[in-house]
This record gives sequence, structure tokens and C-alpha cells, in this order.
Amino acid sequence: MAQRSEFTAPNTYTYDQRSTWRWIFSHVRRYWYFALGFYLFFTIAWACYAGSQVLIGRAADEIISPSSADGLLIIALTILGVLVGDGVSALFGSLSAENVAARFEADARQELYESLLSKSKGFHDRQRAGDIMARATDDTNQLSNLIVPGITLVSETVMGIVIPLTYIAFVRLELLLVPLCFVASYIVTAKRYVRRLNPVVHDQREQFGAMNAGLEETISGIEVVKASARENFEREKFRRNARLFRDFFVRQGYIEARYLPLLLYGFALGLSFLHAMWLYRQGQIAVGQVIAVVALVNVLRFPTFISLFAFSLIQSGIASADRILHIVRGESDLDEQRAGYSAPMRGEITFEAVEFDYEESGSKRVLEHIAFHIPAGKTVAIVGQTGSGKSALTQLVNRTYEATAGRVLIDGVDVREWSLHALRSQIGKIEQDIFLFSRTIAENIAFARPDATRDEVIAAAQAAQAHDFISSFPNGYETVVGERGTTLSGGQRQRIALARAFLSDPRILILDDSTSAIDSATEDQIQQAIRKAQEGRTVLLITHRISQIRWADLILVLEDGRISAAGTHEELLQQSAIYRRIFARYDLVSQEDS
Amino acid sequence: MGFLFDGLDAEAYDRNYTDADLVKRILHYFRPQAGKMGIAAAMISAAALLEAGIPIFISRSIDTLRDDTSLGRLATTALILTILASCSWVFNLIRQTLAAQAVGDVVLKIREDACDSVLRRDMSFYDQFSSGKIVSRVTSDSAAFSQVMNLSMELLSRLLLVTVLVGYLATVSLKLTSILLALAPIIMGVALAFRAIARRTITASRRMNAEVSSHIQETVSGIGVAKTFRQEAVIHAEFLGVNRQSLRVNRRTRYVFSSIFPILNILAGIGTASLVYAGGIGVREGELTAGTWFLFIQGLQSIWFPLTSIASFWSQFQLGLAAGERVFGLIDAEPRVIQSDSQRLPQLRGEIRFSDVEFGYKPEEPVLQHFNLHIRAGETLALVGHTGSGKSSIAKLVARFYEYQHGQILIDGVDIRHLDLSDYRARLGMVTQSPFLFDGTVRENIRYGRPEASDTEVVAAARHIGGEAWINALPQGLDSPVGERGASLSMGQRQLVALARVLLQDPAIIILDEATASVDPLTETLIQEGLDTVLAGRTAIVIAHRLSTVRHANRIIVLRKGQIIEEGHHQHLLAAGGHYAELYNTYFRHQSLEYIEQARKAA
Repeated sequence: MAQRSEFTAPNTYTYDQRSTWRWIFSHVRRYWYFALGFYLFFTIAWACYAGSQVLIGRAADEIISPSSADGLLIIALTILGVLVGDGVSALFGSLSAENVAARFEADARQELYESLLSKSKGFHDRQRAGDIMARATDDTNQLSNLIVPGITLVSETVMGIVIPLTYIAFVRLELLLVPLCFVASYIVTAKRYVRRLNPVVHDQREQFGAMNAGLEETISGIEVVKASARENFEREKFRRNARLFRDFFVRQGYIEARYLPLLLYGFALGLSFLHAMWLYRQGQIAVGQVIAVVALVNVLRFPTFISLFAFSLIQSGIASADRILHIVRGESDLDEQRAGYSAPMRGEITFEAVEFDYEESGSKRVLEHIAFHIPAGKTVAIVGQTGSGKSALTQLVNRTYEATAGRVLIDGVDVREWSLHALRSQIGKIEQDIFLFSRTIAENIAFARPDATRDEVIAAAQAAQAHDFISSFPNGYETVVGERGTTLSGGQRQRIALARAFLSDPRILILDDSTSAIDSATEDQIQQAIRKAQEGRTVLLITHRISQIRWADLILVLEDGRISAAGTHEELLQQSAIYRRIFARYDLVSQEDS
Repeated sequence: MGFLFDGLDAEAYDRNYTDADLVKRILHYFRPQAGKMGIAAAMISAAALLEAGIPIFISRSIDTLRDDTSLGRLATTALILTILASCSWVFNLIRQTLAAQAVGDVVLKIREDACDSVLRRDMSFYDQFSSGKIVSRVTSDSAAFSQVMNLSMELLSRLLLVTVLVGYLATVSLKLTSILLALAPIIMGVALAFRAIARRTITASRRMNAEVSSHIQETVSGIGVAKTFRQEAVIHAEFLGVNRQSLRVNRRTRYVFSSIFPILNILAGIGTASLVYAGGIGVREGELTAGTWFLFIQGLQSIWFPLTSIASFWSQFQLGLAAGERVFGLIDAEPRVIQSDSQRLPQLRGEIRFSDVEFGYKPEEPVLQHFNLHIRAGETLALVGHTGSGKSSIAKLVARFYEYQHGQILIDGVDIRHLDLSDYRARLGMVTQSPFLFDGTVRENIRYGRPEASDTEVVAAARHIGGEAWINALPQGLDSPVGERGASLSMGQRQLVALARVLLQDPAIIILDEATASVDPLTETLIQEGLDTVLAGRTAIVIAHRLSTVRHANRIIVLRKGQIIEEGHHQHLLAAGGHYAELYNTYFRHQSLEYIEQARKAA
């Protein structure tokens, strides 16, 4: 099971990930003594509880024909002792089980988290953050519910049926007849019930989601709805959904109302009573035993009815376990290459006949026939519509993904041969959605180099044109990002990210500069910061800023995954129709101006 | 079983309605269902009586059981017992079926009312509440509120069962009944104390879970950064700390929750043992029969469970009422935009006149005061100014999204308050910065404003906007699904769809909040070309962010704090060197070719 991994956490416990049940079992086995404790204590608890019913029957006999002066008192005290024993054992049993459940949740979350850290960036780019969040919180929570009350209740069901039946057998073996028939018919009818109920519950839940989503859409688009005077259409849409939901709700009510096992239980009670009375009439059992049998049949009620609930918990717990395992087992596409090529980078980039597609898409190539060469220290602007493959192209450079065919070379060495650490630590990347941690601005800037001095941090911020606005905050560099009042604009976030990059001083900087500057002052500052970033490094720039495209050393125009034109501004004005069309508007404007 | 645990995470909520009001309102909705609810209530009572009757019947039968009881009698006894149980099952079946119908219909009606009321509201309402909140009021709160009904019925049936049983037992033996009842306050007390503790631990757990969530959210979103800079070990160590603490807190909550039933069982055990002994003595002294003695012991179990559930009833009930309040709050509020007439303007020209208009989103913060503006039919008017200068307010008043406090807005000389709103808005086009698309195909979205338009018209509109190329770029042409909120399309494609939608609507007036959203230069060029098409020959109010639009406008209005301070043409205004020149330097300078050409030198 040697998985390729980007990060290995120290001293981790290894779990069996071959199948869902094995995985759950291997987690529980880690605390086997608690698990064992649960079964031990609960067997005692059920034995005590069911036993108390037999003792009540014994008490009845004692009342009718006393054996000794304080015989009744002794039995009453025994019942007290047994019932207290039941409570105490159940308490210890529950605590043991809860302990396993809580630890399972925490351990699984840790396991998931560590596996997330070990996965490649490509893997993370493919996942939606919200989805992973749900798995790390809701699904792990479901796991603890899978243990308690899921598995514990199912176990209790078994004990709560087997133990009372054993007692009944001791009273008189043939008295088992009715309870056994009941348990059998219960299993059959409960199964049928669940089979009928589940699809309706599922439909109802789906319909609720559809109703919610529909209304949410209407309200989010209310401006369009109102501006187009389409309120009636939206009203009817909601009513259709709400009416469908009502139908499912009522249908669920019908099915639940016809819950057959409850009726069967009534029959079972009547028939076992008849059976016991008949045996009594034959003189084979005493009144106390009739009472004991009725009381024991009564005990069966709880376990049989609780099991339905328990099974549904187990089902959703298993589904959650599957979802977590799916992530944990997901292969990371990349390996650290710890022993790979490692050297100071100059920053020369070469693409040789590169083809690329994401695993799942299959049908359409994301990049085709990409070949170009960037000498160290040059700035390249990548232009193209959304979906033309701009991001994918840059992702191949720092080996977020690997090329499907062809080679990507840095300083003449295939990126696959570079040590991942050496490669990534010398390539900086600033994404379009800049992520800042909820820590101080200083810590964010020094993220890559926690040992950096304050002076270095400030120098980096100055180079990134971020120093002025940071200093304008009341807490300056100690301002915590995201706390009340400190919402940073896109331009400000971008400059903090630039400062972060300056501090780590990469040889190649990839900059997805798709933030829009709404005012000229911001534009000026971003221009200056990026200009500074270009000094002495290779820069790959995905940008919407005409002023940056205009002055890049090389402009790559991407269309549908192919380079449709490449060259400098002047060359492209000659060669590329699209490029001319873009600049035509500006020319138009400027002619009028002058 | 979960009853004792329900409603523990109820949160405090400010209430404007009294309990009595709310109950009255809820009952009002149930009035059409009175027949069904009446039968259901009768069924509840009958079932409760039967369920109390079963143990009583068993105890009677044990008492009359003799060595020589005839087989026939035994069979009759068993038969009666079975019939009792079956009847109670049938009663429950009828009750549940009827209740499901009644509750389903009531919830449906409330949802419809709530949705109608939401759609009637003007935009000020939507500014105030997030869409998520509104949706949960219409769909979830309306369901929670039906719980009040279910809950009350459930409680009623349990109380009835307990009363009947206790009442019967009291007639048999007051002494044993008092032992039984002595236990009641203890059980209730323990249940209430448990709920107080559980509430505290569950609050701690909820906080802890929120902390874990936010930690994971942050690191998962930041994992890319951590990986780029190879700092995985740092966030891993932080995670371990949070996770360990979460284990401690959650385990404590779990311990509290799982200890309550064993404790209650011990209490019940004490009760059982006392009844066995005291009752046994009573039997020997001839005060009661063996069957009744057994009935008391069984009765204890039938009674203590409902008692624990009563402990949770009140907070559950309040939870339901709070949900009801949220729904009624929604239904009762009145929209502020009210039309006093429904005049139609078949030949809308698009002349707009503001005279002495006063407007503010909140009365105490006026945005426009004594505002006068005349827009000629067919004119393109650009509004420029800093954020908060009132640009959007003017546009939104023309769309009649808000009510104004004073003055008059005339459309083709008719007071906007006298217009038939849906007729007027059908001739009004609006394109915003981030256009909203509905889940469906591109074609459906283009047709949204004019559902009766033919396919040819839709195609013509789409072609007219951005040429053939953008349609061909869509995977399935006009039948491509746009995804939720248009997520499958790029921002530029969404803009083009929105423009085509407006073009198909053939509006006389267009309101345009120009896109500043980041699109690549190529898409921007496409959108600009599309815009030129849409604006031609219509009255247009443009909140301008692009230099080219400003320059092409027939007239530029410069706004500051709700006042028109300058007005005229680009060259003229720029030359004047006033506020416009300042705005130009702030917002538009970098969009000029001069700037682009000088970018290298500037740096």
C-alpha cells in the first residue's frame, strides 16, 4: 500500500483501508478493550433487566404462597439489586461505547486530514472545498453515530431479543413458540416496510431540495424576475414543487400509519398470554411464571422497535465512511521525488509538444500541441477566453499536473525529474482567488519563511506596494485578516500575495492577475508591483490588463487549447485578427480623444 | 426515545407575537381541516383508552385465572386482548393518515401564502434579508410549525394515557398509587436537571464543532498555498491541537447524553422494588389482588416514559411557535411599492422625467433630494460619480423597484405609480454587472423575458448580440445547459446571454449597470460590441464604468451626494476641469490608450 504522497505525517497509526467494514473494524480495534467492555456490560445489563421480570414472577408466587417470613422482602431487595445492577452496567457500557465513538470520529478526521495534506495540488484543484468540508465535519460526525447509537443499538437488539427468549425457554421451552414466530414475522414485515418507506423518504428529501433550490433561484434572481415581470411564472413553479412535496409527505404518512409489526406485536402478546394461561391450566406452570412470561414478552417491545432506527443510522454511517475512504484512498497523482533533481533555478521554461487533459473529462483535450520557449528572466503574457487553457498551462509548470504527452522542461530538466520540493520552492504562484489565512498580515506575508525578520517583511510589502495601505490600518502589520472591519479588496489581497512571493523570492513567478482594478490609482500600484516582480525572474502572467499585455516580452494567445498566435505586441497586431479587434476599440477611443 | 433529547439546541429569539396570537393563527390555518383533525383527536383518545385498557385487562384476566377455567374462556380472553391491540392499531392508522393529509395541506397552504407574500415585496425587502434566510422561512419554518400540531397531539395522547391509568389505579389502591406518584416529581426533576446540563454541554460542543469546521475550512482552502510553500507540517500541528480538544468536548457531551437513561432506569428500579414489596404485603392483607399488583408494576413503566417527554415539551413547543412567528412575520408584512392604477402604455417611447424627487432607502438617510432630471426618448445617458452618489438609485427608481418619498417620476408623461407594473416592466430591460441566469438552457434563458417568442426570434437575438462565434463555442449551441446560476458558462458568456435576453424583450428603456467584473479583453470586446447593438435606438440609462461608454453617451450626468453637479459631453466636461475631470483621473484614465502606451515608462 505504498501510496505516492506529498506529505507524510509523523507517527501515524495505520488503518486497514481495503474495505469499508475492515476500515471501521480497524478503527474500533484500536480501542478493543472499550469495545469489549461495552459488550460485557450490556450483556450483564440485559441479563439483569430481563432477570428482574422473572424475579417479579417469583415474587408473585411468594406472595400467594409465602416460603418464609421475609421471603418477599428478600425478593424485593434482589429485584432492587438486579435493577441497580442493570443501570450501573448500562452506564459503564454506554460510557465505553461513547468513548470509542468519540475517538473514532477524531481519529477518522485526523486520518482524512493527513491524507488531504499528502495529496497533490492537482487533487485539491479537482475537489470542491465545500465538499471536503462536509466530509471532514458532517461525515466524521456520522461515523460516531454509526458506533453509538447505530452499532450499539443493533447489538442491544440482539441481546434484548436473545436474553429474554432464553429466560422464557427456562420457564418452559415450548413457550418460545409464539415469541419466535413474532420475531420471524417481525423481520419479514419490517423489511417490507423499510423497502416501501425508503424510496418515499428519498423522493421527499429530493423534492424538498428541489423546492428549496427553486425558490432560492427565484429569490437570487429576483431583479431579473421583477424586471421581466415574471412573478406569476415563478409563483407557479414554486407551487408545483410545494404540491409535489405535499404528496410525498402524505404518502409517507400513509406508509408509516400502516406499520404492521405493531399489530403483530399485539397478536404476539395475546397469543403468548393464551399459551401461558393454557399451560397454567394444565398445571405445568405457576401464576408467577405466567406473569414472568407476559413481562418478558413486554421486554421484547423495545429492541424490536428500536432496531429500525438503528439500521438507518448504520446505513448513513456506512455511506459517510465510504465518502471519507473515497478521499483517503484516492491516489495522489504525484510523488515527492525526494531524491530528484535539485539545483538553484535559472528560470528557463520550455514546452515541447505538450498535450494535456484532466483525467475525468476525457473527451476534449485541454491543451494541444503547445510548444514554446521562454528564456530566463522574460515576461510572458497569456491571453485567451475563459476555458481556453490558460490556467492549465501554468499548472504544468509547477507540476500541479503532469503533461499527458510531451515534456515541460525547466532549465532543460523535465519537471518530473525535479525534486518536488526544489521545484515548488523556487516557483511562486499567485492564484486568482488569493487565499489569506485568518492570521496577522505579517504572518501571512511570512508564511513561506516563518523565520523572516520584521524588516524583511516590510521590505517585501514595500516592493509589492502594500506597505502604505497596511500601515493605514490601526494595527498595521498586526491586523488580523478577516476580522471585523478588515475586509481587503481584491487589489489589496493581490499585493499581500505579491509580498508573500517577494519574501520567498522564487525564480519563476506565475501570476493569475484577473482581478479588476476599478480605479486608476490601484491600477498604478499593481502595475508598479508587477513591474518590480519582473526584475530578475521569469514571469508568467495571465492578465486582463491591456497595459501589461502591451509590454510583455512574449504574448501567447490561446484559443481552445491551442496557441493561435504568439509574438510581441507589434507582431500580433500584424498577425492576429482577434488581437487587432481588441485593440481596435482602444484606438478608436484615442483617436476621438486627440 | 429521542424525545428527551429534542429541542435542546433551541436558541433565544425576539418575539413580536404573543403565544396566544400564534396559536390562534396556527389554528386558523387548521380550520379547513377541522373535520379531519376532529376525527384524529377522537382516534387519539380512543387509542389512548385502549392502550391503558390492555394492562388492566391482563391484570383482570390473571385474577380470574383458575385451574379449571374453561378453554373457551381462555380463548375469549386472548381474543379480546388481540382485538384491543388491533383496534388501537387501526385507530392509530386512521389518525396518522388523516393527520398526514391535514398537516400536509396546511403546510402547503402556508408555503403558498409565504411565497406569494415574498414575491409581492419590493426590492427593499430583498436587500434586508439574504436569500437563504427567506427560503428557510418559506420552506423549513413552515414545516417546523406543523410540529407544534403533531407535538400537541402526541402530548395529548400520552397525558390521556397516564391520566386514565393513574385514575384507574387510584380507585384500586391509593397507597400504591401514591408510591407511584411519589416517583413522578423525582423523574421529572432528574429529566429537567439533565436537560439543563445537556444544554450546556451541547452548546460547548456546537461551539467546538464550529471551531473545527472553520479550522478545516481555512486550511482546506489554504492547502494550495501551504503546498506551494511546503508548509504542510505547520497546519498539521495546528489541526492536531484543535482535533484533540474537539475529542474532549464531544466526548463529554456524549457521556452526559448516554448516562441519563441508565440513571432513570435505576430510579425506576427503586420504584419497582418498592411496589413489589408494598404491593405484595397489600395482596397478603387482602387489599388488592395479584393481578392488580402486577398492573402497578407494569404501570410504572407505562408512566415514567411519558413523564420524561413532558419535560421537553415546552421548549419544543416554543421552538415551533418561534418558527410560526418567522413565517407569519413574512406573510403579514406589506410591500412598500403600491400601484394606484393600472394604466398601460402600448406605445412606450421611453421619455423619463424626475421632478422634485426625494428618495432614501431609510427615511433618515436621503439619497436623492429635490432631484430633477429629464431624459429624452431614445437618449443614452451616462451616470458617473463615486460610490454612494445615487447612480444606482436613479436606475432602480426607474425600474420601480423602490418607493420614493416625495415628488414625481413620469414615464411618457404618466405618473409611474399609475402604470400597470407588469406591462411596464415587460418593456424595460436591465443588465447588471453579474447577470443572473436560471438553471436551464441558454435558449430558455434568452426567452425568459418574453416566453412567447419563437425559436427564430431567439436565434436572431443571440446572433445579433455576439455574432455566430459565441453560439458555436457553446457545447450544444443554444441548447447548452447553463448550470446553476449560469455556472457552466464563463462570465463573458453569461453577459452575452443576458444581453440577448434583453434584446429579445425589445425594451423601450434599458438600464445598464456596466460590467466591471473581470473578463478577458477578448470577451470584453465582444460584450462591448453586443452592448452597442442593444443600446441603439432606445432610451438608455448607463451606470458607466468604461471609458468608451462614457465617451459615446449623448449626455453625461455627474452626480455627487444625490445632486447633479455637472452635465454635458465628455470633451466639454474634461475641458471644464471640474468634478468630472477628477473622476476621469480616478476611474477612467487607465482605460485610455495613452495610459497603456505609457505603462512601461510610468513603472
